[in-house]
Amino acid sequence: MARMKFICDAERCIECNGCVTACKSEHEVPWGVNRRRLVTVNDGVPGERSISVSCMHCSDAPCMAVCPVDCFYKTDEGIVLHDKDLCIGCGYCFYACPFGAPQFPQAGAFGLRGKMDKCTYCSGGPEENHSAEEFRKYGRNRLAEGKLPACAEMCSTKALLAGDAEVITKIYKTRVVTRGKGEEIWGWSMAYGGSDKLSDLPGGKA
Amino acid sequence: MKFLARLAAAGAAAALVAACTEPSQDPARSYAGKEDAKAYSGDAFKGDKAKWESALAARSEAQNDYGNYRAAGKKKTP
Repeated sequence: MARMKFICDAERCIECNGCVTACKSEHEVPWGVNRRRLVTVNDGVPGERSISVSCMHCSDAPCMAVCPVDCFYKTDEGIVLHDKDLCIGCGYCFYACPFGAPQFPQAGAFGLRGKMDKCTYCSGGPEENHSAEEFRKYGRNRLAEGKLPACAEMCSTKALLAGDAEVITKIYKTRVVTRGKGEEIWGWSMAYGGSDKLSDLPGGKA
Repeated sequence: MKFLARLAAAGAAAALVAACTEPSQDPARSYAGKEDAKAYSGDAFKGDKAKWESALAARSEAQNDYGNYRAAGKKKTP
């Protein structure tokens, strides 16, 4: 099994918030906690773009590195999950995460911070699969039902793709090439600048 | 003199090769929480990993509307 990832196609996202709603509804996430949210760049300006952001299930996750109680783990599919029974709600993961994925439920007049909550890639957590305890702490386990995350499956324009990284990368590449902008907007030069020639890449052979 | 030259060459080679190591990116500390059951271990797949993977692969591929349209013999604008 390869790594499970999300890709958001900014050319297709229409800022409908369907993914956000699907996530909140699927897992009955409490008020104030948003496992997924939309970020709009140049809002109101012609040509604005929106992307759907949540935990990106990093290959080298900074939240795992900074957690003082080691409550994070990674599944065989590369999904970053955590044990809420261990979490002390310190917030280090929130500061470490470049995507603002970790969320903390707040209660009371003094802003008491609860245990961290984040996207589970709809794969539950360290409790018995499909148990009431798993649902209460982590939400529904769709992966164990052979389904992809609700946010991606609910996306009306299929802007948000979820699945095996190799499969969704191919889907996204097909779109980019089909849009007619040419192969030049895909690959190394698009991401890092410079040439797309294999011989010009670091370690490339002529 | 030859011995010293060989020693210097060996030292230089060792210094050059030392730059070729790649540090592991795995977190240094291990997970301290409860073990999680495999996603395919439940009633739906009964431990059949291959069946679970093919179910997910089919779902992933279903997101490819170009593939679906090609299969249906239709043309779609990007």
